[in-house]
Amino acid sequence: MSIAWVAPEPSYRSYLQVRSLLSMLILAGMVAGAYFTGIYPQEAFPLWWAGVIWAVLTLFFSLFFASRRFLFTAYARSPEGMHLKRGALFRKIRAVPLNRIQHVEFKQSFLERLFGIARLAMYTAGSGGADLTIPGLEPEFALQLKTELLTTIANEPELDDNANE
Amino acid sequence: MPMSELNWQRTPLITIAFFLFRQLKQFVTNISNLIPVLAAVFVAGKNAVWLPFALAGGYLVFTIINAVLQQRFFLYAIAEDAVHIRSGLFNRQHLTLKYERIQQAEIHEAWYFRPFKLTILSVDSAGSAGKEVMIPGLTMPLAQELRQRMLAAHEGVPASSATPTDAEQHQPTTFEQRFPVSEIVRAGIIDNKLFVLLAVLIYPMSQLDLLEDYVVPWVQANVSWLSEGNAWLLVSGAVIAGLALLFLLAIVVSLITYHDLHLTIQGERFQAKSGALSIRTLSFRYPKLQAVYVRRNLRARLLQRSVVRVSQLQPRQAQAGGQGGQQFILPVVDARFFARFRQELRLPDQELVNWQRLSNLALLGPSMWLAVLAPVAAGVLFFAAESGVIGLLLSALGWLLLQILVVLRWRNYGYSFVSSTTQPAEQWFVVRRGVFSRNENWYPRHKVQQIDVEQGPWLRLLGFAHLVLHTAAGSESIEFLPYAEAVKLQQEWTQEIAQNHRRWM
Repeated sequence: MSIAWVAPEPSYRSYLQVRSLLSMLILAGMVAGAYFTGIYPQEAFPLWWAGVIWAVLTLFFSLFFASRRFLFTAYARSPEGMHLKRGALFRKIRAVPLNRIQHVEFKQSFLERLFGIARLAMYTAGSGGADLTIPGLEPEFALQLKTELLTTIANEPELDDNANE
Repeated sequence: MPMSELNWQRTPLITIAFFLFRQLKQFVTNISNLIPVLAAVFVAGKNAVWLPFALAGGYLVFTIINAVLQQRFFLYAIAEDAVHIRSGLFNRQHLTLKYERIQQAEIHEAWYFRPFKLTILSVDSAGSAGKEVMIPGLTMPLAQELRQRMLAAHEGVPASSATPTDAEQHQPTTFEQRFPVSEIVRAGIIDNKLFVLLAVLIYPMSQLDLLEDYVVPWVQANVSWLSEGNAWLLVSGAVIAGLALLFLLAIVVSLITYHDLHLTIQGERFQAKSGALSIRTLSFRYPKLQAVYVRRNLRARLLQRSVVRVSQLQPRQAQAGGQGGQQFILPVVDARFFARFRQELRLPDQELVNWQRLSNLALLGPSMWLAVLAPVAAGVLFFAAESGVIGLLLSALGWLLLQILVVLRWRNYGYSFVSSTTQPAEQWFVVRRGVFSRNENWYPRHKVQQIDVEQGPWLRLLGFAHLVLHTAAGSESIEFLPYAEAVKLQQEWTQEIAQNHRRWM
């Protein structure tokens, strides 16, 4: 049996790129702040060096790495569970059986709203944070998936353990 | 049942002691956070001697008033399916805990309650905050009845109806074990707690300059026969005496906490009772079991004993915190009893476990790192520190030791998927690891919450992956599986778990 993987929305790639660009801009802002206040060690490390390194890193993360992350992100829904694979360098495939999902959360940050995408987070017992977060979903579809999942969970038959003995 | 019909009850007056002790305990556990404040007080106290005393007195008065108020505002009510607790003076809290969500129950006959024949009932819930609910000052029969009700509660079986409770009470005891004093002494020898405590205490003790300021002058003044030649004798003697003292302390602690340890199994209910001063009775029902840990450190292996711990659903914080008192632990288990206890836990016999070893390639990564790092260390020692041949020898020795550890870790790692032959049968996965110790972690297979296949760049190069299984009692990884096999197992297990409708908590 092979899993039918579904890629996230194409705008998720742009979202990843913009997000990494934003974090690089924050870094640049910090360096600029240091330069204008005079903390920056101009003699030891010339500013244009820092500029070149910044540009290379920005190009790498925003163009190459973000797309690669997008390429390796996919989710799948099978009758028995939710599956998610992610990670460009450290790959991870996660599977959660549907009857172990405790609650489902629809999440959308400001940036995601601009790109018209949303996340769906699923939680299981005994762990701290969200256990399975599907990124880059179309909001309508995410809400629909959420309702579907909740109905499946609610209708899950649960045997009393004694019935098994 | 509407809230107004609840029969709210106040705990006896003596429970002020419980609230007082709870605050003191909190104070002691939080003391590390207060160290900067205390240091500031200490510095300020040089000019004003009364300040520390005033603060200590103020704290004491505050604690006592607080304890009295907490007792006044603590109310509990016992309903058919849940226990309700109202507490707090300014921050009002109303807590409702359903019986069927309770993971384990503990009756704690605290030493200060024993003269009054009162107990503390504490239960762990399955909530994400891992809230532990404590009701102090219950009489023993009431606490027992309440616990019975809590643990007996099934879905669809109202706990209030007397039949299931009675049935469980009159159910014949299927298994009973008492642990004699000799075993408890062994438990003390095996126990690691004091050594951990010592490691924590060594730093503050070293700051006191006890050795330089007091011991050395005293020895020089009084022990005239001591010369440079036999100083090592004194030092090794002191170390041995220190270790002996530590073991003695550990044995005393063990004798107090595990005094008269008594295990009973009634049907699905497991119960352990122990303690010399405070008596703790911990119980849980088998369906709540999430993991069984079998620990065998070097001393335990020499004594041919193991430590068995049964874990229920725990949120991450509690897992990390590792509160020893609240866990179902059998500190010393011999082979004969363990063979019997395995059956009660529905674990398969040792012979049935077909241990899978790690692939030889799993050695490659760590060995390569060591092979690269050892010459680097040798080079640094030889050229930069100018240590000469000794530096080279040291790094070679270090390499050898670490390489041996790597091989031992690799050799002792094992995993297996087994079904027990008990009635009812239970499917398990087990991971065994350890360098000098032998630790086995058993998890019921149908209670797995999520399954990961993880693969970093190095593993991808070799074509392997780790299978990480997240259970409600913690995560366990089955390392170095061929990638295709890991993915296949993940899919098979997901399917199997999804189709298994047995209760998992």
